[in-house]
Amino acid sequence: MFKFKLPDLGEGIHEGEILKWYVQEGEAIAEDAPLVDVETDKAAVTIPSPKAGKVVRLGGPVGDTIEVGAIIAVIDDGTEEATQAEASAPVPDQAPPSPEPEDPVPATPTAPAVAPAAAEAGLVRVGPVPAAPAVRRRARELGIDLHQVPGSGPAGRVSNEDLERFAAGGASPAATPAGPAISPAGIPFFQLDPLPDFASQGPVEREPVRSIRRKVARKMVTSMVVVPHVALMDDVDVTDLEEFRQQRKAASAADEAGARLSLLPFVVKAVTECLVEFPMFNASLDPQREEIITKHFYNIGFAADTPRGLLVPVVHDADSKSIAEISAEITRLALGARAGTLAPAEMQGGTFTITNVGPIAGTRLIPTINYPEVAIIGMGRAEQKVVVRDGEIAIRTILPLTLTFDHRIADGADAARFIRRLGELLSSPLTWLLER
Amino acid sequence: MPAKQTYKFSIPHLRILDQDGKVNKKLDPGLSDEVLITLYRRMVLAREADQRMLRLQRQGRLGTFSPSTGQEAAACGPALAMEESDWLVPAFRELGALLMRGVPLHRVLLFWGGFEEGNIFPGVERTLPIAVIVASQIPHAAGVAYTMKYRREPSAVLCFFGDGATSEGDFHEGLNFASVWKAPVVFICQNNQWAISTPLERQMNSETVAQKAVAYGIPGIRVDGNDPLAMYAATHEALERARAGEGPTLIEALTYRLMMHTTADDPSKYRSDEEVQAWKDRDPLRRMRRLLDSRKLWSDTEEEALLAQVKVQIDGEVKIYEQGVRAKPDVLFDHVWAERYPEIEEQRAAFLARQQGGETHG
Ligand SMILES: Cc1ncc(C[n+]2csc(CCOP(=O)(O)OP(=O)(O)O)c2C)c(N)n1
Ligand SMILES: [Mg+2]
Repeated sequence: MFKFKLPDLGEGIHEGEILKWYVQEGEAIAEDAPLVDVETDKAAVTIPSPKAGKVVRLGGPVGDTIEVGAIIAVIDDGTEEATQAEASAPVPDQAPPSPEPEDPVPATPTAPAVAPAAAEAGLVRVGPVPAAPAVRRRARELGIDLHQVPGSGPAGRVSNEDLERFAAGGASPAATPAGPAISPAGIPFFQLDPLPDFASQGPVEREPVRSIRRKVARKMVTSMVVVPHVALMDDVDVTDLEEFRQQRKAASAADEAGARLSLLPFVVKAVTECLVEFPMFNASLDPQREEIITKHFYNIGFAADTPRGLLVPVVHDADSKSIAEISAEITRLALGARAGTLAPAEMQGGTFTITNVGPIAGTRLIPTINYPEVAIIGMGRAEQKVVVRDGEIAIRTILPLTLTFDHRIADGADAARFIRRLGELLSSPLTWLLER
Repeated sequence: MPAKQTYKFSIPHLRILDQDGKVNKKLDPGLSDEVLITLYRRMVLAREADQRMLRLQRQGRLGTFSPSTGQEAAACGPALAMEESDWLVPAFRELGALLMRGVPLHRVLLFWGGFEEGNIFPGVERTLPIAVIVASQIPHAAGVAYTMKYRREPSAVLCFFGDGATSEGDFHEGLNFASVWKAPVVFICQNNQWAISTPLERQMNSETVAQKAVAYGIPGIRVDGNDPLAMYAATHEALERARAGEGPTLIEALTYRLMMHTTADDPSKYRSDEEVQAWKDRDPLRRMRRLLDSRKLWSDTEEEALLAQVKVQIDGEVKIYEQGVRAKPDVLFDHVWAERYPEIEEQRAAFLARQQGGETHG
């Protein structure tokens, strides 16, 4: 039994997406015959089978993301349990079976004069100290031997701050963990200092940021750095819509789609209508060419909380679908997202995103734009509230909405008109129906 | 501006074996049937080894490497023209030339598997290790060639690099030095039209690579790089000139990389299928096979037998590689300097400490 683990197909690849299987479980495969197509950050590649045998198990369905080192296939090659580590990875320290002359094996290295650990512990360093020319010059001016200065950068690199601190007789930065301050060129005052040493404050755990977490992080930072965000909030009276929805739910308790009918598909549909009316919210800005790209298709993404992290499945062509159809599709996509069975295309091509944390908690939220889209709607929790209607106190169901938009493309007044129109549609479903 | 023409140049182009396998009689270097067959066998070995390496990499059994499929004529033709006493200074896409020098395939596998031992070619003299640092080997070649001259040895150097390498300072330094000192070296630029995703026209503003020779006052020639006979003939002539004390030559081999730049690259992102297909039609192996066919030197049965034999040979080399020599991981610190310096030893200690800690990076 050979457990084939997904190799690093590029350089420093962490995961790949399964695009296509060439065999089914139970089928035989020859050595070097195509097994599976996997797409990584860098390339889509065909992986040939490392063994001949019967394919006992596939590592996942098409569309699954599989991490480097995870088992991509189990092949019964007639041997006992073995992973490729034992079966094919180079075995260290073994004599070559070839008759050729041995390589000259160098003598055991002598111990270095001073181990880096010792240098860190405050001992004098030997050899050149890594430091920028400007820092070296400053050290000369100050009459300081750089060997004496504890460096906070990688490999003990001495920064200007280290030098000044040393000159001022200040505390050694050795107490703080090593790591350079990051200052993206050109942004005054912007500097990411190394983190404090949390481990000295209490027990901590570290884990790498990978996969979906990393994608979300990248996307959010990009969005926040690139896009001037403005958020506009409004409360929408959805009492009538809620009443209708509850009736439908009760009436069709037996039928799945009806039972699952949530507010979301209504908001998806209403947003789509608003996007048709206000095209600047269904656009993208091309910063290189300084052009606004207006899209004449309406693909609405919705944030789905899954065990693997945040995914955004997309309802494609929402303008040509009924609310019932959208509802059914959301249900299907949400289940797929949770099960990890969505095809990549089902999470791509979005033109606008809706995030709905309301069902969990939160009166309202200010979402970050799903770059390169222009705007996003955040739905708070729809709740019964005491409000004033025509001079009377009334109890109504209120849905708090936040529209975050890209101020490069749209202005506050545009956003106000958009959210007003959205409010009209959601608060008066019958009028909406009449208009259609 | 009133000006008088002081210098004019033209660049010769050489092709001997055309795409249909027909030889230009006037230019035929007259290789014997036996040599032609050997050349073809080596080219097939290079191709099959390359394809096997690609599969090994995909299976996680080999590191990133640069496939040479499609460039076999440009690598094997020149190697055929070498004497054993000549020096080979490769870049990283001349598997065929290395194999023709007698480098065992498992050494190349060790190199791309990330083992220092892949830099040593036991029993193969005068063959430098693979040079991944683009153009770094060009000054080395000029230096080795100058040494040959200094020592009055009648040997020459054959140096490979890519089109992208010609945009590096090392290229200019190497060619200038070699031409000034009339060093016995033949520079072969494998112009495969791409430097990773940068196409030739974004790389340089010259019509040809060969014309760069004019600036250094040395002969420059453009050769059909998928024509093994032309590559052989041009290199043979240039090596003879070099050994006769007449200095360097720049040969531009016009060819094409049919596969990805390295296994970490996806060429479909920057070049069209049509472009690749057009070059597949000019496959050097097919051209060579047609020549052998036309001279009744080859048959399908022989082809099958060759493929079977080559597979056995490659299997054996893969086995040696996968079970083979593994010195300590810190050997990479051994050859930085001839002597041991404390800075390097410090790095070695840090490296070993990290290895023991099981810490990974990347
Ligand atoms: C000095 C240096 N710069 C960059 C690289 C990264 N690199 C590796 S190959 C390559 C392109 C080389 O193109 P070319 O010389 O045309 O050779 P080819 O890959 O086409 O055979 C680059 C930029 C490197 N290895 N060395
Ligand atoms: Mg190139």
